[in-house]
Amino acid sequence: MHSDNKSEYIPETYIPHVESNGTKEIWRTLIILSILTVVDIVLYFTMPPWGGFRNFTFIALGIVKAYYIVASFMHMKHEKIDLAACIIVPFLLVLGLVAGLLYEGNFWLTS
Amino acid sequence: MSTDTSATVTETKTWSGGRSPFNVSYGKLMMWIFLLSDAFTFSSLLIGYGAVRFSYPAPEALVEKIAPMSHLSDDFIEQMQEIGAFSEKHWPSPELVFNHFPFLHGVHLPLMFVSLMTFILIFSSVTMVLAVEAGHRMDKKKVGIYMFYTILGGLAFLGCQAWEWTQFITEGATLEHNPFGPAHFAALFFMVTGFHGFHVFSGVVFNIMIYVNARRGMYEKRGHYEMVEKVGLYWHFVDLVWVFVFTFFYLI
Repeated sequence: MHSDNKSEYIPETYIPHVESNGTKEIWRTLIILSILTVVDIVLYFTMPPWGGFRNFTFIALGIVKAYYIVASFMHMKHEKIDLAACIIVPFLLVLGLVAGLLYEGNFWLTS
Repeated sequence: MSTDTSATVTETKTWSGGRSPFNVSYGKLMMWIFLLSDAFTFSSLLIGYGAVRFSYPAPEALVEKIAPMSHLSDDFIEQMQEIGAFSEKHWPSPELVFNHFPFLHGVHLPLMFVSLMTFILIFSSVTMVLAVEAGHRMDKKKVGIYMFYTILGGLAFLGCQAWEWTQFITEGATLEHNPFGPAHFAALFFMVTGFHGFHVFSGVVFNIMIYVNARRGMYEKRGHYEMVEKVGLYWHFVDLVWVFVFTFFYLI
């Protein structure tokens, strides 16, 4: 932002001007998400469980889909890295809850 | 020389006032923070589901696999209970529970209906981004058209969910008991898909408000379509959550 705009900045009403990026990226993301969903369904019926490896594949595909929704549809890719970090880094804390509660669930099963 | 100094001043004073540090509006930042908190809520539900799921043995593979498209008899659930595929001792296999499709009674179509629901939600996300993009171009007519399609997608998803719940309840599933396996199975299904469905419902209500405002020219008068973007963020988040509900409830 230029220093001459400084006096005009009011936090409550500030709206940055956004230019359209066109629709090419939207269609690309739609195709990627559709392919990943179809892959999910095909794997469900064709892939053997391989000791939980299949479930890891589903979760990995889910995370890839989440990346495309957040980065492309929600425009996170075009936001400042500071904002992206403020939202994504705290969310990574749930990984601790995942590890803890799945361990606990397994304990309920075996005890 | 003077340009050099002003460059360093703006470089080092991101947080000293006079500018938006994240270069977003107040409302959009608040929407992101709300979505972060909502993501924690849904994570708790899904991780709680994971813990309960881990406390039961995994479903046993059927000796005789039931081919998709094969005949689905009316006493399918009783048959599955007899051969031990549905038992209180272990978690049921999703492909044996979610195998119905509207208007195709008596055909074994595992996961096809939820896949359709997933596609409906992805498509309504796409029409939402198209509305946001039209808003950037100040194209009032296109914003209205795409918002209308988004609302239709949301209503279609809610209709599908109502049908699936009806099917599930008709087969005897309640919060306390279900014929497929442990009581937790149906209780968690109703809780998590219900919580997500209520988010979809709220999203449809927001979308209708934005649609009416856009059609009445409120945002054109305001000079920007940022409200479409903010509600769009919420709508994509609902789609994002469904990706994980789909993965954890139906695939794993």
